[in-house]
Amino acid sequence: MRPGRALGALGGITGNANALRVTVAILILMVFVPMLHSGYYENLGRGVLMFATLSLGWNLIGGYTGYVSFGNVVFFGLGSYTTAALWQHWHQQSIVLAVICAMVVGVAFALVLGMPILRLRGHYFGIATLGIALATQEIVSNVDWLGAGSGFTVRPVDAYSTYYYAMWIVCAASMLATYLIARSKLGYAFVAIRENEEAAAVLGVDPTRYKVIAWAISAAMAAAAGAVFAGANGFIDPPTAFALDNNVFPIVMVILGGVGTVAGPLVGALILTAINETLWSHFPQIHTLFFGAVIVVVVVFLPRGILWLFNTRGGWKGVAGSLGAYRV
Amino acid sequence: MQLFWQDLVNGILVGGIFAVVALGFSLVWGIMNIINLAHGSFVMLGAYTAYVLFSTWNVDPFLSIPVAFVLLFVFGYCVQRFVINFVVRAPILTTFLLTFGLSLLIVNFALLVFHGDVKGITTQYSGSNFSIGSVTIAWVKLWTLLVALVITALMQLWLTRSKTGRAIRAMAMDIDAAQLSGVRVAHLYAVVFGLGAGLAGAAGVLVSLSYSLQPSMGDPFVITAFVVCVLGGLGSVQGALVGGLIFGVLEAFGSQYIGTGLQDAVALVVLLIVLILRPRGLLGKAGA
Repeated sequence: MRPGRALGALGGITGNANALRVTVAILILMVFVPMLHSGYYENLGRGVLMFATLSLGWNLIGGYTGYVSFGNVVFFGLGSYTTAALWQHWHQQSIVLAVICAMVVGVAFALVLGMPILRLRGHYFGIATLGIALATQEIVSNVDWLGAGSGFTVRPVDAYSTYYYAMWIVCAASMLATYLIARSKLGYAFVAIRENEEAAAVLGVDPTRYKVIAWAISAAMAAAAGAVFAGANGFIDPPTAFALDNNVFPIVMVILGGVGTVAGPLVGALILTAINETLWSHFPQIHTLFFGAVIVVVVVFLPRGILWLFNTRGGWKGVAGSLGAYRV
Repeated sequence: MQLFWQDLVNGILVGGIFAVVALGFSLVWGIMNIINLAHGSFVMLGAYTAYVLFSTWNVDPFLSIPVAFVLLFVFGYCVQRFVINFVVRAPILTTFLLTFGLSLLIVNFALLVFHGDVKGITTQYSGSNFSIGSVTIAWVKLWTLLVALVITALMQLWLTRSKTGRAIRAMAMDIDAAQLSGVRVAHLYAVVFGLGAGLAGAAGVLVSLSYSLQPSMGDPFVITAFVVCVLGGLGSVQGALVGGLIFGVLEAFGSQYIGTGLQDAVALVVLLIVLILRPRGLLGKAGA
């Protein structure tokens, strides 16, 4: 499939409008989760919001611009370490300050590395980002000022639900930003680069500049999510901050939800978390095995993502049609 | 200076294993554009094949190499033919996600069957070594390197000389033209994936001689394979060999001179520099 066909099929640059309305309604309903007074649901909800934010970030560079990053967790990790360092070294405990500083750090890191890295095409960009993520994790593990291998304790000072609301705001802001960016000149430049970089350059879109912008915004989202996560989690060490799951799950979620759409990341995060939790509570021994099987089945039967179902030309008929669309 | 030579030799010895691990990964990626995240789990299955044969019938691990190759080939062939082929023309992310799911499935299945405890293979010759000057070389590692070289050479011969090999290379160049010329794409895709899995299985047996075994042991090898492919250039047999040896030496020197915790970081930083200076790998051709 040419990506261009997917763009049309999913209902334009922001994705299917009805799917977006439903998703925004779900997001608004999620504000009320802490009022259930259930630590379990609050944790779960914050997890969904965190993964949705990471997915939205990944979606900008991987979905809209077509540059698949395997290392966006690096910004999440740097974000969490920013919060931890503020707490540990300067006794700054404001979550707002932490989020702002984390975003600055993330964007700075993306700008510095983006210049050389984003000259690479396709797979090679992916591997380079993976290398950056792994190397950064190893370097952080060896810096004493950052707690080296044993990490930091981040004592939460605010009421527990503060972190839930903070994560909600970060997620909602990321979604709004994605919507506005997608509809602006910026979004069309990103998609133009994805569809045909040479043609975009000929038409006056400076590819390197726009790719770096996409990556920097993507970094800001992931870093903000990391900053809030550190406060809520209460403890940060390299394996937690740079967890492989936080790298792979957002990619899986965006693909499940719908690549290059505004609603897709949150839809994917909701569905994957729901599947994961259900399997976990019913089959604790073999839940990861089932999880793998679910991914395989979904990819084979819904290779274009779940939002495809909402599409007028999709629906169940579309599923039947798309099964085998990519066969050899 | 003695340390330098010892590190160099150790790096080259371990680099042979890296080369075989990366070879299958590189073929699958280069020919079918599939980033096979399940490659590490195939390495693990190969290692456990050697373990089961060794602990049940006391079969020498070197003799398990063909067994592991054939078993994994058949497994890989079926996976590609009956699962991946359905979505293989989709954008690369789709197969990326699919193989991620497969890898979860295989690793956790192995966890059920073999349990999570760490196992190892200790043969009679495991501890024996010899010295050249001040450099000590373990026999097992030397034989491992030799076997790795033989496997790489056989692979190169088969790809360039056999009819099937030529058909596979034709597929990588232009799938539609190959199909028009009578190449059975669905079958050959499965053969390539089977080969990738078989080579991973063979590599797994070699790995089992020097590393301990547990179901998640394969995961780091996916990253190794990634890096080796970039160092050497994608889809090339010689590239995988050169990349593997370079990566082995880099890791050995990195852990010696910069710190044990940082050897991977050193290798990855070198990877980034190579990528920026030579985006298609050290041996890669422009426009390939």
